[in-house]
Amino acid sequence: MNPQILLTIYRKEMLDMIRDRRTLISMIVVPMVAMPLIMLAMSYFMSSMESKAREESTTVGVGQGAVAPAALEALRGAGFRLVPAADLRRAVERKEVAAALEEVGEGKVGRKFVIYADLTRPASQMAASSIRTALDGWKEQEIRRRLKELGAPETVLTPFQVTRVNIAPERKMAGRFWGSILGYIVLLLMFSGGMYPAIDMTAGEKERRTLEVLLSSPASRTEIVFGKLLAATTAIFSTAVLTITSLIVTLRRGGFGQSSAEFREMVSRVPLDAGTIALVFAALLPTAVMAASVMIAVALFARSFKEAQSYLTPLVLLVAVPAVAGLLPGMKLTPALAAIPIYNVSQLIKEIFLGEFSPFLFTVTSATNFLYAAVVFFLAVRIFKNERVLFRS
Amino acid sequence: MIEVDRLVKIFQDGSRGPIKAVHEVSFEVRPGEIFGLLGPNGAGKTTCLRLLSTLLQPTGGTARVAGHDIRTEPDQVRRNIGFLSGDMGLYHRLTPREVVTFFGRLHRWPDRQLRDRVEEIFALLKIHDFADRKIEKLSSGMRQRVAIARTLVHQPPILILDEPTFGLDVPTARLIEEFILGARKTGKCILFSTHVMEEAEYLCDRIAVISAGEIRSMGTMPELRARTGKQRLREIFLDLLGISPVSEGGRV
Repeated sequence: MNPQILLTIYRKEMLDMIRDRRTLISMIVVPMVAMPLIMLAMSYFMSSMESKAREESTTVGVGQGAVAPAALEALRGAGFRLVPAADLRRAVERKEVAAALEEVGEGKVGRKFVIYADLTRPASQMAASSIRTALDGWKEQEIRRRLKELGAPETVLTPFQVTRVNIAPERKMAGRFWGSILGYIVLLLMFSGGMYPAIDMTAGEKERRTLEVLLSSPASRTEIVFGKLLAATTAIFSTAVLTITSLIVTLRRGGFGQSSAEFREMVSRVPLDAGTIALVFAALLPTAVMAASVMIAVALFARSFKEAQSYLTPLVLLVAVPAVAGLLPGMKLTPALAAIPIYNVSQLIKEIFLGEFSPFLFTVTSATNFLYAAVVFFLAVRIFKNERVLFRS
Repeated sequence: MIEVDRLVKIFQDGSRGPIKAVHEVSFEVRPGEIFGLLGPNGAGKTTCLRLLSTLLQPTGGTARVAGHDIRTEPDQVRRNIGFLSGDMGLYHRLTPREVVTFFGRLHRWPDRQLRDRVEEIFALLKIHDFADRKIEKLSSGMRQRVAIARTLVHQPPILILDEPTFGLDVPTARLIEEFILGARKTGKCILFSTHVMEEAEYLCDRIAVISAGEIRSMGTMPELRARTGKQRLREIFLDLLGISPVSEGGRV
């Protein structure tokens, strides 16, 4: 293979690629806007859900029958607006109130209350839990009062104390979420970003009849495929770099003032140090080479741009399967699972963000993906040498 | 020069079985000669040219192009040919300068020498005015000039032209004809395929009539006339293909 010829083909493919509007959109525009849009949508969704739930959850229906005044006082004290209703169940169902409270009489151990809530609605769920907290507060006061009357000490209530300490560093908490979601999004964008360039430089060349002229030049078939592979890899890797860069810029720029506290906290703890980002890029590079090899090999089969699109679109969707598997809780990266393409890198990214990746599994994953890339590359060269595929019409 | 020796190409078709696209074809083309492969659509012209350009592997026989065997020295063969078809094979998003330079580099021309060569050929073909405009913005005549420049940039001794005027308007086709005649003057060995009788008659020193993958007859126009007893190439062609004229004395 002559490096000068390789460079010539690579440069031509890159030039051709950056002048193609479709490629530019999928390779540059989509990754640049995808992350800010996803963040914006998440921020908006979380804050609007929270404020809506908070607003709705302040109304509590109370029955026409007698409810202990102390209970009503406890609810008012918790900030609830009390709405009298004849049919409490119906009132909750019709969303006239977030939840409802009814006193159903005296049991063996004392008063009996029923809370009506629709647990499929966050507001109702939130209200039910607040009613319970308010009533628990009143119950505690009542117990204290009775203990005092009996002359027993308050410590009788708390024979021991339990404290839960979260030993996970803040980075790990944020990394779990961002590692999963980022791997999934980046991998999907990488494949969809590389699709157009891969098709354009293979099936597109066949369709435009430029391939025949290229093949009649002194460049060998291996040089031609390798030059195209390098260009497709550049496109795919650029998509990954742009996606992650746009995430960093979005997070650094902030602008989530209007969003929920939970979201702001989640965002502020994303590990964005140079070491983490460099490791993520290093993990993605072999995947980019593999994705380019697969897409070039598949698109070479096609006679036209449209045909290649119909082959590659399902492939891009297929990528989602192992990537989604990586999102499932409890899924880990093991030496055996490191042999599963896409899954391995999505897990690796998650573990890099968690700050607990194993250099051994990093090496296994990268080596496996490079190996797959090499196998598919040789397959692509064979396809490219097959005149039945190249000139079929 | 081109020496074709009993060249055979059989395609395997899933439903139709083996198809003989080129069968025992032999001919030679000398430097400074225009040799025409004349045949109807599907006669095997393009397959024959693709075999000589090493785009396809022969099933049988062989050929030598500029002294190199197409089977064993395909790289050397490709170094010595300029290939042009009616499709032009140009990258529409690139400029003429980029396309011609790209092919010059593939032929391993040093950058400085290549720059001078590009300037020279652009001046010759009057491309300078649109040399840096994208090809998709050019007229078909301009594009064909660029395609010629691309074919000639590495100064190949042999030109393989596959229906180079196919689908072109008259002025653009005329440009191609002038290019072919000009190339002959410089001693190039030119093999071109066509199904346009007038073009073959006007341009070719020798013609091979090909049908169903086989050469039916080959020679200069006087030789073909003597062999068939017909005057016009159209009549010679039909005679060699065993097709009677559609109308004789007003009757079909």
